[in-house]
Parts: sequence; structure tokens; C-alpha cells
Amino acid sequence: MIKARGLTKTFKVHKKQPGFAGSLRSLFVRNWEEVHALKGVDLDVEAGEIVGLVGANGAGKTTLVKALAGIIHPTGGTAEVLGHVPWRRHNEFRRQIALIMGQKAQLWWDLPAADGFLLLRQIYQVPEARFRENLARLVDALQVSDKLNVQIRKLSLGERMKMELIAALLHQPQVVFLDEPTIGLDLSAQRAIREFILDYRKRENPAMILTSHYMEDIESLCQRIVLVRQGEKVYDGSTVKLVEMYARHKVLTAHLQVGESPPDGPPRPDRMAGEILEWNGTALKIKVERRDAAGVAAQLLGNYSVADLSIEEEDVGTVIESMLKSGPAT
Amino acid sequence: MLRYLVLYGHFVRFSTSKAFEFRVDFFFRIFMDLIYYGVNIVFYQVVFLQTPLLGGWTRDQSLIFLAGYLVVDALTMTIFSNNLWWFPVAVNRGDLDYYLVRPVSALFFLLLRDFAANSFLNLLFALGILTWALVRAHMEMHGLDIAAYLLLLALGAWLHALMHLLVVLPVFWTQSGSSLHGIFYNLVRFMERPDRIYTGWVRKLLVTALPFCLMASFPARMFLEGFAWRLMAHFALVVAGFTVMVLSLWKIGLRSYASASS
Repeated sequence: MIKARGLTKTFKVHKKQPGFAGSLRSLFVRNWEEVHALKGVDLDVEAGEIVGLVGANGAGKTTLVKALAGIIHPTGGTAEVLGHVPWRRHNEFRRQIALIMGQKAQLWWDLPAADGFLLLRQIYQVPEARFRENLARLVDALQVSDKLNVQIRKLSLGERMKMELIAALLHQPQVVFLDEPTIGLDLSAQRAIREFILDYRKRENPAMILTSHYMEDIESLCQRIVLVRQGEKVYDGSTVKLVEMYARHKVLTAHLQVGESPPDGPPRPDRMAGEILEWNGTALKIKVERRDAAGVAAQLLGNYSVADLSIEEEDVGTVIESMLKSGPAT
Repeated sequence: MLRYLVLYGHFVRFSTSKAFEFRVDFFFRIFMDLIYYGVNIVFYQVVFLQTPLLGGWTRDQSLIFLAGYLVVDALTMTIFSNNLWWFPVAVNRGDLDYYLVRPVSALFFLLLRDFAANSFLNLLFALGILTWALVRAHMEMHGLDIAAYLLLLALGAWLHALMHLLVVLPVFWTQSGSSLHGIFYNLVRFMERPDRIYTGWVRKLLVTALPFCLMASFPARMFLEGFAWRLMAHFALVVAGFTVMVLSLWKIGLRSYASASS
């Protein structure tokens, strides 16, 4: 449903030297600098997929989303979304997509959400009966029926975001772009929105691209993850595989039997390979290189009487963080 | 087309109920505009104490011109002015993003979403002043003449909006907001007086490249001095030319739209 090849986007920004003298100088002389927000990105997304687009601030996520939604013209490359070139902005294309930005409101500030929805019904030409049915279902799922007639500016951030989601999905889009939909929300609102997104996918089978800085969003919503760093794609594949391939460490947690004298004197976890995360005399949590994990486990089991032992992968967030810093582990 | 009318109906309804909510502001704005109307009428009365003719028009004719100008002003204030005022802001802040993903012209939203209910009442006052000016002039006229005058004034209002849009469109490249308005608000004052008080190259400029003298003066001339093909062709050509130019510039601007990042 979404197919992009070699997308590039270059912005020209002028670079100002610091201080007032620099400002004065920039009035007459401008040093233009090219910023490469996207450097040849390929991306395919199929119906029913939720792809997590992850990267640091300024990595090019939002630029990619905006190019695919048809808001900005890329400098180079091609894209096809639902069979259309997005930035030509055919109405047929625009009728089938939706964009939700956590940082920008689409509903009008001074109007109650209900009025905004009516306007959207006209814009998208949703038949009356379908509109009622969709609205009732969406409002029910997000439990905001009592807030429909309250002006947007009087709603809490969480309620507003729920309204934004309803507004974006009323016309049953086949391609949905979610740019940080849970930003700034409390945990229960975040959870409600995640469940809602999953529910929408089950029902409509759309292609979705999600950007978020919250790893819970990515982990619970996306089977597939695309990492971008400085305008380039550095990973594209399943979330589970990402951890298998690139997690450098494992975390061993062991509970030692109290009372029994260890054969090798009191435990000295500091002698083992790895970084101690927690040690209070009985419970030990230690982060070790992946290849050392089995050895350290054997060492623990051999030298101490261990009541319980578990070996866990690093969580996705940690893996991603290290990859965004230094690139995929080799 | 019908869809756009229905949408505009929604805009009018929403904007009006919003305007009624802030009623002090609402009445104050109407009052301010009425003072402006009064000052203009007094201005012409004073001028005609000194001279029998202004730009070739008598006092009664000048009042008809003035009323026509007030109608153009009220029309643009009602339909376009608020929207054009926010135009650079919408582009800079990235509000345009959401308009661009909708299956409706983004320019339609940017130009028309806010309907100024207070100015609409002023439009009714301006039409009242026009009626008063027509009645006191004791002219021989047909309903059709008056309808044609109103139509030409509406075209004048459209030209007014086009010129304002032309001045704010560079925001796509300059990224600087409201300083652009200043150019327009200075130039637009040329519309307030009969075109013939200007002479030489200033006048030439004001009826072609900066057509501020066309907006109210040309309709009034055709109404007061009879229909002239040459005048009508001139007027139509300028309106059509600027329409094409502004719409093309808008399209070129969109290609450069960088969208404020979030």
C-alpha cells in the first residue's frame, strides 16, 4: 500500500554565528547550509501492518511521514501510496488517508468536537448513516461521549487527543500516519489509545506508520520497526529479530539460597564478567555480554546454591538506544 | 461546487456562534467600523464645502462612490480579511499540514474558514448608506444598473483579496510573518478615493500593476457615467490576470512549503 524508493529531502537553512554581531552579519551575508533530512529511504508497508518509525529527534521521521502523506515535495526519489503519488494530492488519494500529529491540533480550538466532526463528514462526504455508526463506535471505544459538546480548548490533553483520533478515523482511512500520538499523555490515556489503534487495525486492516519516542507504544503496536538515523534507514525488520540480532547483552537474575555456606566463600559477583545492576546479598542482577551469558550462568550455578535463575534479553528500548548512538552492532 | 457551498455554510455557522460568545468584542468591532464610516462621510461633506467637483464627480456622485467603497471594504472584511491576516501564521506554524491532507482545496480553507459576523452587520450598514446615497442623488436608474453595480463591487472585493494574498504569499520563501501585511495596508488606502484625483504614472500604476483604483472607482464610474466596453474589458482583464497569477504563485509556493517540523 505504501511503496517508497530512494526518497531524499534537502532543506536549505542559513547558519547564523552566535551573538548580536552574528545576527547583524546574517542580515547581509548568509551562509547557507544544506541539511539532508532524508538520504535515500526505501520503505514498503502492507495492509494490516503497523510499522514503528523510530529515531532520535531530527533523524528524519517526520519528514518521511510528511512526504508520504503528500504535505511536502521530496527532493528526489519516488513514492506510491494507494497507487497515487502522494505529493500530487489527488482527492481520491486524500480521501483514503489520515494524519494524526500529537503536537498539532486539527480540530478547531473554539468548537466542540461534535461540530468539528460534522465538518469532517462534509469534507470526506461520509454518508449520514455510516457517519453516525462510525462516530458512535469510536466515541464508545474511547469513552468520550460526555465530552462531545465541550469546546476543544476546555478538554484535557488526553481527551483532546482522543477527539483528534476520532476526527482522523471517521472516514475509515486505508492508510494512517500517526506522528507521536501519545506524546505528553498519562499512562491510562496512552494505554487507551494503544488499544484503540489495535482495534482499528483489526477492523479496517489499514497500513499504518507510527512514530513515537515511547517504547511501550512501539513494543505493543508494531511487529515491524524501521530505525532511521540522520536521514538513513539503519534497520528494517521485525521487532523481535531486532533484539535477537542486535542486543549485545543479556540480564541474569539469580536468587541465592540464604543460610547455606557457599563452597567458594561469600559470593563475589564482582569477579564475574559483566556489570552488576543489583546485589543485596541474596538477589543478584547482572548484565553480561551475550556470548558470556551461558558461561556466567554456569559459574553461578556451579559456585553458589542458586534458588532461582533467569536469563533475559535486553528490552527493545535499550537495544534501539544503543543502535541509534553507534549503529548496528557487528 | 455544492459541497463547497455546504462547507461554507458550516464555516459561517461556526464563526458566527463563536463571535456571539465574545459579545463585548463583537459589538465593539461593529461600533469601531461605524465610526470609520461616519468619519468618511463627514470627510466628503467637508471636501465639498471647498469644491463643487472631486475627480469629476459631484457631492451626490461622490457619496455613491464612497458607499460603494464601504461595501467593498465590508465585503472583504466579512469574507477574507481575518483569514488573510492569519495566512502567514498558518504557513509558518505548519497549520497548513492538516489542510493539505484533506480532499478539499487547502486555499479554500485558508481564505474562507473564518467568517466575520460583526463585519457582516457592517456590510448591511454599508448597503444602507448606499441606498441612502442613491435616494438622495435623485438619479434615473434601473434595478439592473444597481445589480450590475453590486456585482462589479463584488469583483472589486475579490481583486482586493487577491492583492492581499499576493502580498502574503512570499511567506513560503521568506518565512517571516506579518511584516508582509504592512505593504498591503499602505497600498490599499489608494482605493479609498476616486481614481481621477491621481494623475500621470501614479494613476497608470494604480489601474494596472497595483490595481487599487479599480476596486471601487471603476464600478462607480460605470454606474455613474454609463457602461463602457473599454472600462469593462480593462477591469475584467486585470481581475482575470491577477486571479491566474495569484493561483499560480500559490501552487509554486506549495512546492516550497517546508512545513514547520514538530
